[in-house]
Amino acid sequence: MSEMPEGAAVLTAAEPRGRIRRTLWRLGQATRECFSFLLMLASLSFGVARDAVRPATWRRTVRFEFRRALHQAIAGGLSATLVTAILIGLAMVSQALYWLGVAGQRDLLGSILVTVLVRELAPLLVGLILLGRSGMVMISEIGALQIGGQVRSLEAQGLDPFQLLLLPRVCALATASFTLGVIFVLTALVTGYIAGSLLGAVQVSLLSFLNRVLLAMSAADFVVVPGKMVSIGFLVALTASLTGFAAKPRDDVTRLLPIGFTRGVVTILLTSIVLSLAV
Amino acid sequence: MPGYMRMPVITLQLMPGDLVLVDAPNSALAAWFADLCCGLVPLAGGAVRFLGRDWESMPHHYAAALRGRIGRVFATGAWIESLDVATNILLPQLHHTRREAAALREKAAQLARSFGLPGLPMERPANVPPEDCARAACVRAFLGEPALLVLESPLQERRSELLLPLLNAVAAARNEGAAAIWLADSDPVWGDRSFPATSRFRLSDQGLAPVRRSA
Repeated sequence: MSEMPEGAAVLTAAEPRGRIRRTLWRLGQATRECFSFLLMLASLSFGVARDAVRPATWRRTVRFEFRRALHQAIAGGLSATLVTAILIGLAMVSQALYWLGVAGQRDLLGSILVTVLVRELAPLLVGLILLGRSGMVMISEIGALQIGGQVRSLEAQGLDPFQLLLLPRVCALATASFTLGVIFVLTALVTGYIAGSLLGAVQVSLLSFLNRVLLAMSAADFVVVPGKMVSIGFLVALTASLTGFAAKPRDDVTRLLPIGFTRGVVTILLTSIVLSLAV
Repeated sequence: MPGYMRMPVITLQLMPGDLVLVDAPNSALAAWFADLCCGLVPLAGGAVRFLGRDWESMPHHYAAALRGRIGRVFATGAWIESLDVATNILLPQLHHTRREAAALREKAAQLARSFGLPGLPMERPANVPPEDCARAACVRAFLGEPALLVLESPLQERRSELLLPLLNAVAAARNEGAAAIWLADSDPVWGDRSFPATSRFRLSDQGLAPVRRSA
């Protein structure tokens, strides 16, 4: 309610009796306030992971939102991904090909490209592209709905905002992150190969070059790399949506965007580091 | 009423076919009352039941499904700006039912015509005139044979054009077994003695008080 009815008194939560209980209550309240965002993130991650595998979740309205978010994420992020991948291919892959050839260390090419490009750079850059192209849109869309009271109206019509707004977007961005990540890696490798060929640094065919990169991947890489891409897309969408849902009626969307961007960048970096250390 | 110690006392029971007229000059209080009917307000005591089931003891997904049986006109419009008005109208039914989208669209178009629209508005809400948005809000509320209608100031400034089709639609819904709550916000409807309400109440900070009107 925006207006306070006459004669209404402000509700204050009663503190529990007893010194120990009161101390624990205060400590718990402060801790919860500090970590509420992380707690929400963890609980919603669990909720999405649980509900996403239930067929009953995927009603036609949820599928429609998923398709819309997926199209927005992939179509919106594709050009940025291709341009970034071409630049990385020119700046990194071709240089690696050239300088490893000069140093006579061509055998290290596959492992260097896998470690730097496939495992670290691709998920990180794709995550940042998704955050900029789709995460910001999510913050403004959901934030505007929350500020305008439409989220409450959806609930009143029996449309669960978690199911209708959050879950399809999170699943869409996780899928888009993996898709764009694979496109990014392939584009960077092919561009690097072409640039390396023009520099005269490559003596093998494209397929042999790609095969060498593939052979340098360990079994763990086949789990960690897709896991990283999917997790980053998942968490980018979750932090963006949560920032939007946390908007207060007097908030402005322009205030939410920098908060969501900072949270997104921190989330991408933390996810990348944690999953890299896990290998 | 979140954030406030004293909650208005509400005692109200609706049977199928009832039409309750509530004078609610405070729009925020009217919205709170409408939310209360939809089971969205934590209670200080007592219970709110819909179709015999207590909102508070219902599982979340069950409550959401039951809210799909409530047709509501929101005083604020409650349009999602990123969707066109037609999709906004169809969204609850597409979500809650398995009825064919084409059949729902046809039914919605019929209702739209009965409320004075040429068809389903395909533009975004911001591009639709307010009077057409008010009609579209009625289409959304009446689509899908609701068991309860909660109409928050449905006429607004358009009494003459919308009153008759709305009364016809309410009468048809009541004949089908729906109950209706009409929240009149300083509305001339409140002063209209011919209004076919089965009972009348006034909503204030103290609660819901019955009002007797002489014929």
